[in-house]
Amino acid sequence: MIQHIDVHAVLQESVSGIYTDLVTRPTGRVVRECIERAMATATETVAVARIDFTRVGCIDYSCADEIVAKLLRSRPSVLVLMGISDGHREAIEPVLAGHRLAVLIERPDGTLEAVGAPDAAAALLDELVARRLAVRTPGGTLALTLA
Amino acid sequence: MTRLVEVPAQFDDRSFDQFASAFAAATKDGERLLFDAHAAEWASPYGLVGLLAAGQAARGAGAGSAGSAERPLLTAPTQADVLTYWTRAGFFREGAELFEIHGKVPRLRSAEESDVLLPVTPVRAAEDVHAVVSNIQQRASAILASELGLDPKATMGFAMALSEACQNIVEHAGTGGWVAVQAYHWRRKLAKRVVVIAVADAGVGFRHSLEPTQSKRFGTRWGDAAALEAALIQGVSRFRDPGRGQGLAGIRRYLARWDGKIAIRSGTARIAIVPQWDDDVPLKEGLPAFPGAQVLIIIPEQGSTKR
Repeated sequence: MIQHIDVHAVLQESVSGIYTDLVTRPTGRVVRECIERAMATATETVAVARIDFTRVGCIDYSCADEIVAKLLRSRPSVLVLMGISDGHREAIEPVLAGHRLAVLIERPDGTLEAVGAPDAAAALLDELVARRLAVRTPGGTLALTLA
Repeated sequence: MTRLVEVPAQFDDRSFDQFASAFAAATKDGERLLFDAHAAEWASPYGLVGLLAAGQAARGAGAGSAGSAERPLLTAPTQADVLTYWTRAGFFREGAELFEIHGKVPRLRSAEESDVLLPVTPVRAAEDVHAVVSNIQQRASAILASELGLDPKATMGFAMALSEACQNIVEHAGTGGWVAVQAYHWRRKLAKRVVVIAVADAGVGFRHSLEPTQSKRFGTRWGDAAALEAALIQGVSRFRDPGRGQGLAGIRRYLARWDGKIAIRSGTARIAIVPQWDDDVPLKEGLPAFPGAQVLIIIPEQGSTKR
């Protein structure tokens, strides 16, 4: 199954009902721990966790590291980020590249893109296809096989 | 006895060492300090947050030979427009807690609609960083796009840089500090509009913060300059977590993209990433000692900034 996690809702419930920005390490830590708990308590086997950043304002480098990089390192399931703006990418990409990690971003049209360290990004896409979690579309892009 | 610390008439990053020298000399014997700003003609955000850091340090040291916690004295600027600006910039709101202020301070609210994008704001905890980032985005967006010619997408990067600069206080200073953001016409080198972020604290400073993890690596070279180099150039952190040290690296990337400048002063050294349009030096050592860390970030109006 695909588990959907709304980061904005997690932020509002766990840290602040006022702010929409993912800034500071303490905030990132609390949000990541909530996401990890949600993943750990899923009733079905989670093949893909879709982490939705819609309605999240700014992400700083500390939160990108604390949330995305650390979730990838623990690797509970395949992570797919959605609702990612250019500003979010500006924080996430260099942080992942520094760790030699990569993550999948699901574009609004449903196609996937791997961002981060180039080697890790290529390996991630190959792994997705090998595990049949994604297929190549006629346009040459990748999309998730699970709904 | 009271020791005098003269506030430079033009108080900014260039005259800060003169101020630091006077501060270092005056604090030698633990007497109460008098910061004399009556002749001040102009102060940059860097000057204002630096003056607050000096007040914090003087108060923290328990100024007074008997070890009393007497607040240092501050004579306010006498020029009406200077006084009004310091008030609008939020200086006296913060300074009232630190200094015994002498002089007539106008009752004004800090700026709502002006070039002061963020009045002098205290940063003590992560919650303060949230507030700063939230407050700045809407106001900075218009200035960055319309006046500095930055891509509107750059606003989020600006907020990220601001957040990381503030987090240095929360994570490393061991005390609170202040941040201020202002847009102004920078005549010194550019004759262009700039946005300036100034952050200052009177905490432990970079050398002390990094000493447990970095001093052995540098050996006899270890000191304030080496600590600043380690933090800004090499991206090291006092934390062993491999993800640490991202903040200053991220600020550098943002500034490289927009031809901006960063300078950090801590202890007796100052390091800078100097763009082509500026003639600052990359590293200064042997400066008058000043507690904590002071960060200056300048983002210029885009287009023809190369000298």
